[in-house]
Amino acid sequence: MSEAFRHIGSHAPRKEDERLLTGRGCYIDDIAVPGVLHATFVRSPHAHARIRSIDTGPALEVPGVVAVFTGPDLAAWTTRHRMAPPIDGLQPVEMDTIPVAKVRFQGDPVACVVATDRYVAEDAAELVQVEYEVLPAVTSMWQALDPASPLVDETLPANLLSHQHAAHGDVAAQMRQAHRVVESEFSQQRQTHLPIETRGCIGVWDEGRQHLTFHVGTQVPHPYRTALAARLRLAESQVTVISPDVGGGFGQKIALYREELAVAAIARHLKRPVRWREDRLENLLASSQAREDFVRTRAAVDAQGRVLALELEIVEDFGAYSFYPGNYLARVVAMILTGPYRIRHYRYDVKVLLSNKVGNGPMRAPMSITSWVMEGTLDAIARELALDPVAVRRINMVGAADLPYTMATGEVLADITPRETLEAALAAVGYEAFRARQRAAREQGVYLGLGVCTVVESTTYGSKFYKSAGIPGSGHEAAWVRIEPSGVVNASCGLGATGQGYETALSNAVAEGLGVAPDGVRIQLGHTDVAPYGMGSRGARGGTAGGGTLYLCAQEARAKVLAIAAARLGLADPGELRMIDGRIERRAGGQWQDGGLTLADVARTAYLDPLALPPGMAPGLEFHLTYEPPPMTYSNSTHACEVRLDPATGALRIERYLVAEDCGTVLSPVVVEGQQHGAIAMGLSGALFEHVEYDQQGQNLSGTLADYLVATACELPRIEVISMHTPNRATPAGVKGMAEGGVMGALGAVANAVNDALAPFGVAATRHPLTPMSLRELLRGRRPGVAPGPAAAEASRPATIE
Amino acid sequence: MDRQSITLTVNGRNFEFAAEPRKLLSDALREDCGLTGTHVGCEHGVCGACTVLVDGQPVRACLTFAIQMEGHEISTIESVGGHGALSPLQQALHETHGLQCGFCTPGIVMTFEAFLRANPDPSEEEIREALSGNLCRCTGYQNIVAAIRLAAARIRESA
Repeated sequence: MSEAFRHIGSHAPRKEDERLLTGRGCYIDDIAVPGVLHATFVRSPHAHARIRSIDTGPALEVPGVVAVFTGPDLAAWTTRHRMAPPIDGLQPVEMDTIPVAKVRFQGDPVACVVATDRYVAEDAAELVQVEYEVLPAVTSMWQALDPASPLVDETLPANLLSHQHAAHGDVAAQMRQAHRVVESEFSQQRQTHLPIETRGCIGVWDEGRQHLTFHVGTQVPHPYRTALAARLRLAESQVTVISPDVGGGFGQKIALYREELAVAAIARHLKRPVRWREDRLENLLASSQAREDFVRTRAAVDAQGRVLALELEIVEDFGAYSFYPGNYLARVVAMILTGPYRIRHYRYDVKVLLSNKVGNGPMRAPMSITSWVMEGTLDAIARELALDPVAVRRINMVGAADLPYTMATGEVLADITPRETLEAALAAVGYEAFRARQRAAREQGVYLGLGVCTVVESTTYGSKFYKSAGIPGSGHEAAWVRIEPSGVVNASCGLGATGQGYETALSNAVAEGLGVAPDGVRIQLGHTDVAPYGMGSRGARGGTAGGGTLYLCAQEARAKVLAIAAARLGLADPGELRMIDGRIERRAGGQWQDGGLTLADVARTAYLDPLALPPGMAPGLEFHLTYEPPPMTYSNSTHACEVRLDPATGALRIERYLVAEDCGTVLSPVVVEGQQHGAIAMGLSGALFEHVEYDQQGQNLSGTLADYLVATACELPRIEVISMHTPNRATPAGVKGMAEGGVMGALGAVANAVNDALAPFGVAATRHPLTPMSLRELLRGRRPGVAPGPAAAEASRPATIE
Repeated sequence: MDRQSITLTVNGRNFEFAAEPRKLLSDALREDCGLTGTHVGCEHGVCGACTVLVDGQPVRACLTFAIQMEGHEISTIESVGGHGALSPLQQALHETHGLQCGFCTPGIVMTFEAFLRANPDPSEEEIREALSGNLCRCTGYQNIVAAIRLAAARIRESA
């Protein structure tokens, strides 16, 4: 970390904590609204069915029920959602606010009951009679690929929602000439974000002002407002979105969901406030889900394990609806797959399919599978060629001399340090000593495994990356900084906080840029009438886009403050002035001395004595700035995971976990460490436990937290962090961003560790979650061979189909 | 269903209100007592966010009917710390960054206020075992465990 910073990098604990620790936070359900009505949704019990009729009569007779609305009502009050960006290979699709003719997954809403009490609304929902004609369901990506499968969306010619491919270099020639072509497979299961606070919202319609105030926990307040206003046929000036404290998002709180739009429309129609809070069953059945993809790689290699060419095939099960463009998630995996490795010849093919499941959305690391695929491919090469997996990495990895490095897809890597994180992780783990320990343990019938996974995490998506990846959207961000007449500082940007600690980290950025103490800065987020129009929180853009924009804006504020101070002190220019923690200092004879002025003095002049300002200077201290980040910023890390496998039961224990991570300049090391822990925890939990499971009829089998398993404190290891800080030279303050790489690295590190432990048995796991049952299945009938080293003999080529 | 008069003793104060016998303690605390620090995360007793103390013992408020709690002493997060004086456990959670979104935090604080009274010198394994009844999606638990150890040490020192 550069020592030039005074507040960026401060280890001060978080500003948010006290209210949250004492139960005085304010989440959606804590907002009291007089006279509010409660909405609850009637949901389809079938995965795929036509709606024949809906009888709301019995529900309307329940005392306390105000109204019951169905698809045609919402169709009259809202526009349909159309997802049709002009992207090659992507089918245009539309959806109703509440389905009118057909339901497409178990949990699809068909009616909304509004009552004076949530209990009453739920009672009445059970009395809504829906007659369905059940249709055959599409419940796997392989079934969806079959041209004879039922159509999830009958306006499309097939269930293939998006198909994209590209080729860079001459892959075919390299494959022909290669020493060996190594094929690997990876199956990632369907998961869900599982914020501990479920979704919820409150719509308050002001008939006099013709204005909607909409309280909703969202990561993207302004884009959300744009969508909400448009679909209600309101002007954006008629809608205010307010996002309070939010109990986790992880990507689940980005889209405008149909339930939320329905609540807003109903509040307007009834001219009464309406609220809805999703219960956990609904969250597991009907909130955005994620992942579920199958990946195959084919790597052409020479005898030393050098990758000459790589082919990637991705098939993703996207679920029933397009809340996001179908290419949005998998395409990024294809763009950045090769990461830190020199691979000139590369081609990919990405197919995204509709099925009768909940629609997919980005979940913390939408490109989560990337590093597992790349590093798992390198491990497969090592196994096949009987090489050390670390040697295979070293021979392929870019070094400092290669930077900036242009990947085959055209993506540019700069200011990254993959060799440094790899070597730091190996040294910390004691790689050679581990191999000796592993050999000795195997002789005792104890199976240890070490997995290494180097991650190049795409963090801040600039507008140029979106365009080159064929994803609609902008990557810019906006900020304002206001120094009030008393000298205190308010600041804002377009991010939407969901627990990261923005009030702390962003205060440091403003404090640094302006020259005040972080305590004197108040960060105001999540209110569309207060915050400037920004793109919100997604990916890992908070640090660079949010923090960077605020830092630049605060620097602009500082320049004006110093100009005013110079005038007050009778100086021709502010060149010999600076501000430290709100006090103006003046350089005289090479020494900084107190200038006898504070920020409060300057602010009083700016607001209350404008005639004392330098000629031509406008009164006030209000600043606004927008910033477009580079096309992409990258952080990098190497994860190392040691596991112990019990071959008799398939039980896995994580013996050690560490990560060496270089995420550039860090606004708040406290917040960053929290993100590292949290992302790794989510990755390990996903790799080992989590599974949204549908049966062949499309019934969701994971509707409770007793079925959808997440790692608890007992299953997660202590995580050791080795921090590195190579600044990005193209961003404000050298910030790179981070928050998702931990998921990517954990998936790959634990999977590689398991396969290392399995090596003596001549099998390799290709499928998550790595449950004891799945590992036992692999081991059934297998006996440990004599293969002693990290690279099992050629005979131990992994079975690619489990 | 008919409403009945229910009286709850929460944080040493009596709250009298009319509610159906099926009303959950979690909902009664939040809606009828105005104590919204108790959070509802799953409504089926797994996530632990709604944990409160009943006669000093941790209880899932979402698995308890309010009417059953008449005559019992209920403590919620609002009775711990506040007004500038955090409890040793809350202070430790703040210092070790043991919370992020904060939604699960009140349940964890209530669970371990009771736990630390019964186990003043717990091992890490005992802490993790007890913590496994509270789901946190943000932190990976490591800093929560560190906070509980720190709080335990400070409470022992000041005893």
